[in-house]
Amino acid sequence: MASKGKPARATLVDVGVKNTRPLTQPPPLPFLAAQLCSSFIRPLSLSLSLSLPSNASSAGAPNLSSTSKLFSFSNPIKTLKPLRPKHPPPIQSVLQWNRKPQLAGETPRVVVITSGKGGVGKTTTTANVGLSLARLGFSVVAIDADVGLRNLDLLLGLENRVNYTVVEVLNGDCRLDQALVRDKRWSNFELLCISKPRSKLPIGFGGKALVWLVDALKSRQEGSPDFIIIDCPAGIDAGFITAITPANEAVLVTTPDITSLRDADRVIGLLECDGIRDIKMIVNRVRTDMIKGEDMMSVLDVQEMLGLALLGLIPEDSEVIRSTNRGYPLVLNKPPTLAGLAFEQAAWRLVEQDSMKAVMMEEEPKKRGFFSLFGG
Amino acid sequence: MTPSQTHLPSRHALPSMSSLWSLRVPSASLQPCVCVLKHRVFSNLRTEFGSNRENVRWNEVRSDGRFVLRAVADPVSSSEPNSDQEEVVKSEGGDPFAKFYGIVTSLPPVVYVMKSKSRAGYAFGLCVVTAFVFVVMRVFAARRANHNRSGSVADLVRRGQLRSDRRVKVGKRNSTLEMCGKVYRLAPVTLTKEQQAIHKKRRSRAYQWKRPTMFLKEGDMIPPDVDPDTVRWIPANHPFATTASDIDEDLAQTNVYQKHGVPFRIQAEHEELQRKLEALQMDQKLDKLVIDRKNAQDFERPYKFQASPLDGEQNGSHNQSSNSSESEHSSSSSSISQSSAEEIQKQ
Repeated sequence: MASKGKPARATLVDVGVKNTRPLTQPPPLPFLAAQLCSSFIRPLSLSLSLSLPSNASSAGAPNLSSTSKLFSFSNPIKTLKPLRPKHPPPIQSVLQWNRKPQLAGETPRVVVITSGKGGVGKTTTTANVGLSLARLGFSVVAIDADVGLRNLDLLLGLENRVNYTVVEVLNGDCRLDQALVRDKRWSNFELLCISKPRSKLPIGFGGKALVWLVDALKSRQEGSPDFIIIDCPAGIDAGFITAITPANEAVLVTTPDITSLRDADRVIGLLECDGIRDIKMIVNRVRTDMIKGEDMMSVLDVQEMLGLALLGLIPEDSEVIRSTNRGYPLVLNKPPTLAGLAFEQAAWRLVEQDSMKAVMMEEEPKKRGFFSLFGG
Repeated sequence: MTPSQTHLPSRHALPSMSSLWSLRVPSASLQPCVCVLKHRVFSNLRTEFGSNRENVRWNEVRSDGRFVLRAVADPVSSSEPNSDQEEVVKSEGGDPFAKFYGIVTSLPPVVYVMKSKSRAGYAFGLCVVTAFVFVVMRVFAARRANHNRSGSVADLVRRGQLRSDRRVKVGKRNSTLEMCGKVYRLAPVTLTKEQQAIHKKRRSRAYQWKRPTMFLKEGDMIPPDVDPDTVRWIPANHPFATTASDIDEDLAQTNVYQKHGVPFRIQAEHEELQRKLEALQMDQKLDKLVIDRKNAQDFERPYKFQASPLDGEQNGSHNQSSNSSESEHSSSSSSISQSSAEEIQKQ
């Protein structure tokens, strides 16, 4: 069982950014806490028993108790009791009020957004993170690599502007720049669809075609985009293989349920086998009420099971469906919703190649003092 | 035995009497009952400890059907425990008037209460008034400070430089976070690098995977120089499993890299059309064209529905045959040639 008093290993401090480069363009928003997290955790365990070694000295004895139950491992390894510190260190957080996110890594950063299981929010994440990046001042190309079942254009409200796709580019019916659909709301965001809903992709071109596309985007006249985000189809067959081919980092979207976690673990395994080392996860559709009632895994439980760094946590929000129906991504909503803010923060961390150092639990509504009755 | 103890009934009569009484007058008699019981215990203790200190013993409070009520009429007499004026009301449940009289007499007179608590009440009132004045002054000062605050974050929000709805406030101790009107408590992430390495190791053992480099339709033969482990078999109805493309890989790559000019296929079609027209002009085939009257009827739409179904079938079969034999641009070229033939005919 996960213990209450887990030692606080990480603290919220300012990020050590690698290979940063300053931006010339100011960010569109006066922006908030990049290091802060929006996660909703349950301090105690749930029905799945999770026990991970909490100190570094136990690294030699891998603890697979949780994962072995979930993924049918039969490795009888002794579990170690986590140490309970008497005085947990204080959480330090730094609000990034007066600075813009600094881009880490070489451009273009090719990020595949995948999950394994369908319906967990890959396309929603692609749309919202992509537009958040564009709002932060980065040039973004989002590629919908779902060959038969593309939906990203619908979420972005660009379905009526998709005339050409990658298939037409390959056939020579149009050039690549003609197939890119520029978003009128944020002109540094472009959409590229692989194919039309009923068309088919030539069998051998899948992965190679995406590599060519990335190369062609790199050598564009207007400059290489900062981010190329690939929306991966569900499953682990040809579509998945095609989508991950040009990627050098991955964002795994999962929900805190056991089916999604099993698929996610398999997908992480395939990504690691394929040489993608930089994998972070976004936990989507987190419901605090269910976590409180111990009916849903907490974020820390999910993290313990998958062993991935957290990029973001997205609370369940009815606004997601509304925004999908409107073709207007959440992050553009005014006033912003919790989920929209969480996507923005995830995008911020993606830019800086950072991960969440602290998660937060929902508390009671804001307490007000006695004098608040008198307007104080 | 003290005088108060003489009023106590025998133990045999206790249960029935008390239950009856409590049932009949529950609320009105509660306060005097408690008061009197307290007093009785107190007086009993006093008498026990005072008169006979050697035989100190605790007299249990016995609830019985009789209630001893004491009216606090005289403050001087009430200060002396031995001279308590006590009145015993037999609660036999028979006389409600007597009960009511007992209750009324048990209440302290109003004048006495006012006299005894006048000083305390005055102090309390002064405190309330002071607190109220303090609150009013504080609110006034806060409002005035709000109006005069310049150069603060609130000022930036007011001027539209900052968006108040996106602000995330962190508590003083960094343990809480306020966002969207809700306050959350922060907790640190506990995943360590070592744990991540353990998971990687586990997955590398669990999932042995080699990226497929060749996609073959089910039923195809594996080429001799290909590792069977790298072959991904695809069902025939999969979107990837199309028939052999009419465009080769190199050409596709060139198309993707093309940045300027007319796309390959458009240019090819255009050139093809151009070549045909030039060929027609060079060979002077235009003069030799014969006007097909049936085709010409196609352009006369108002009369078309009057044509016999047989004609329609013939026309359709002709379109089909032309479509099957020619591509799109060839059909367009034939229409162009027809129109040019009509012009020639007019001349």
